[in-house]
Amino acid sequence: MGSKAQILKAQIRAQIEEKLPSAFTVYERQERGSIATGIAAIDEAVRGVPLHALTEICGSDMASSGKTSVLTSLLAQATREHFCALVDARDSFDPASGQAAGIHFSRLLWVRCGTSRVKLPPLEQAFKVTDILLQSGGFGLIAVNLSGIPERVVRRIPLSTWFRFSRVIEKFPAALVFVGEEPHATSCAGLVLRVASEPAVFSGKLMTELKLRVEVVRGRDKKPAGSERYFELGKKSPEGAGISLSAQWA
Amino acid sequence: MFACFYIPDFAVQAALLPEPPETRAALRVAPLAILDGPASLPRVFATNFAARRAGIQTGMTKLQVETYGGVRLRKRSMAQEDAAQAALVNFAGTFSPRVESTCPGAAILDLAGMEKLLGPWPEAIREMMTRAREMGFDLHIAVAANPDTAFLAARGFSANGSSRIPRPSSIWAGVFIPPGEEAAQLASLRVDALPISPAMLEILNNWGIRTFQALAALPAVAIVERLGQEGLYLQKLARGEVSRPLLTAEEKAEFTASFEFDDPVETLESIFFILNRMLEELCLKLLNAALAAQELRLTIALEVRQIRRGEKEEEQYRHEWKLPVPTQDRSLLFGLIRLQLEKITFSAPVRRLMAEVIPVKPRVAQEDFFTPPAPEAEKLEITLGRLRGVVGSSDAAGVACVGSPELVDSHKPGSFAVRHFSSIAEAPPHRSRPQNHSERGEPMCKAHGSAESKDSSPSLNSNLLTPVTTLRIFRPALETSVELTGAKPHFVRLWSRHRRVLAASGPWASSGDWWNASVWWREEWDVALKMPAGLGFYRIYQDRLREQWYVEGAFD
Repeated sequence: MGSKAQILKAQIRAQIEEKLPSAFTVYERQERGSIATGIAAIDEAVRGVPLHALTEICGSDMASSGKTSVLTSLLAQATREHFCALVDARDSFDPASGQAAGIHFSRLLWVRCGTSRVKLPPLEQAFKVTDILLQSGGFGLIAVNLSGIPERVVRRIPLSTWFRFSRVIEKFPAALVFVGEEPHATSCAGLVLRVASEPAVFSGKLMTELKLRVEVVRGRDKKPAGSERYFELGKKSPEGAGISLSAQWA
Repeated sequence: MFACFYIPDFAVQAALLPEPPETRAALRVAPLAILDGPASLPRVFATNFAARRAGIQTGMTKLQVETYGGVRLRKRSMAQEDAAQAALVNFAGTFSPRVESTCPGAAILDLAGMEKLLGPWPEAIREMMTRAREMGFDLHIAVAANPDTAFLAARGFSANGSSRIPRPSSIWAGVFIPPGEEAAQLASLRVDALPISPAMLEILNNWGIRTFQALAALPAVAIVERLGQEGLYLQKLARGEVSRPLLTAEEKAEFTASFEFDDPVETLESIFFILNRMLEELCLKLLNAALAAQELRLTIALEVRQIRRGEKEEEQYRHEWKLPVPTQDRSLLFGLIRLQLEKITFSAPVRRLMAEVIPVKPRVAQEDFFTPPAPEAEKLEITLGRLRGVVGSSDAAGVACVGSPELVDSHKPGSFAVRHFSSIAEAPPHRSRPQNHSERGEPMCKAHGSAESKDSSPSLNSNLLTPVTTLRIFRPALETSVELTGAKPHFVRLWSRHRRVLAASGPWASSGDWWNASVWWREEWDVALKMPAGLGFYRIYQDRLREQWYVEGAFD
């Protein structure tokens, strides 16, 4: 039976392949270059944020997950070598934090969505802006910060939109990074990082250390990474890389 | 040598100049009359050849012309005539730097020393004719040894309808008068081609002097005795002996174009069509002057509305675009205008369009090997315009929605500005973290990594900046209520729930602007709240003037 099915399949393929060659073409995702996040442990683990690919950085909105800090650090690194765009769906970017992180503001295009009288919802504004920026080209990093947008709203974005973004960004030497509460692009994303905070270390009334942990949900090895790629703070993972952030309050 | 560019039926050609080439060609062969005068009784001011052949004469009333049928009528527009004259002078300037705007529809240019550049004069005239047709002009050209002879030949032979240069088509090709042959070449022209007064013309007619040849043959002394110096001057003109310096056109710093609609229009398509033509004209001017547009100004005059009895009001819409990079690209300028006008609803139909560009020298820049890839400066303006169309231009406080963030020199927390984003190369970014970190000890994160792991990927880890815990701002700040234990926050109401404060740092008091109306005074706390998903670190503050608590943002 198996051989018959294979023969039949080969016959069908031979008949269709001439008319629709793309139907049997295996699409190889291009992976060329990356942008360092500025956090050594993440860069060593995933070799930075990949170019020609869509990346998602996820973390809780209510709890301090550290996803915005990772984004800020990424922007600080990226603006040293590239012109970057930050699509701020909830207008939540803090320029003071950005300058403290070392972002080169003259190379950053900040698009503040949902602040004017335009009636379009902020999420739709953010996605339209992203579309325009992708068409425009020339930006090395396009970061879309969806923090603060309700999860139920983001979940309504059709998969075809993520697929379109991933296919478009593959043609450009740029990184497309979405920051939100949960990952939504599924297999369209080249890299998915989930960021969470550890219990903070207090010294008296002051928080002296804020520790974060980063889980690589989907990496460059093209298979979803599970708990084995889970890095704990201050500890070395089996792969030899650890991700930790500590914060000190004076 | 001097050349004269003469536009016959100037008012007609000026009215047709803004039309597309196909329409212009169709209107040229159709009877067309230009009306001028009071709106109650307009009369024919100018006609084209087809209209004259149909019997329409200058001075006829509109009613008389309409009895002919099939005649197209246009209102005379001084703005269009000015624009056409400027375009003619500009076109002449492409052949010679010394151009005189002699009269409406005529320009004389000095071609001394241009022989080798332009080639033999007959071929040069044909080349000029070809380029003039591309510009939309139906020119008559005459080349002679002095300006007045060239002018008289261009105008006089145009009226006679004859040509001195053999040509393949029926298009009038021009006249070349070799030096020394002026009198012989002009001999057949009629004396009314001279700049002559009616009284003098009547005297010459009474004498039977009707051509240049007859006037040139009269004895000079006898003419002076009977007609004075004016008569002698006319005779010299007829002999081609008058030589004078050119009164070259002054270089106008203004690059403007305007168009007035016969009837006010309401659709954007009509406005865009005309604007496109105007910008094309302006960009051609810039190109010819080796300049580029640094600034674009658009003025749209709307239809006059009668708001009350006897009171009329003309509204105008104005907008300016300051371009980061000087450009000669019409499509870029048109794109900027289109994006802006699509966002606007006019209160009345559009009557008149005026566009002006402020010219500067074009940017000459060589690409740098070490400059990062950037959006094209010219296209970036279009992109920014499209982005503004999606998110709006500015927020309620007047801060731009699209641009580069910038910290302002203020102690007030959350003060920032958004300036225009440009991809033009600037000073290289700083390699080290800025020193102006929060003076009060902003939360700061440090990245830890083992020494061996740092060595493993030097390309990625080299020159890493120190990560900083970032504040995710809530704009506007969330109003909240805080329960205090002593002076310390104990519970914070956030998203409709009371959250227990696990730890709090503060208060940090700050105030400013006490000398004006925007005075502020606040006490900040950084608190750790127990949230369902874990710990949340927030910044709250109390506005001491309003005695109201706010959540400013979350450390995220």
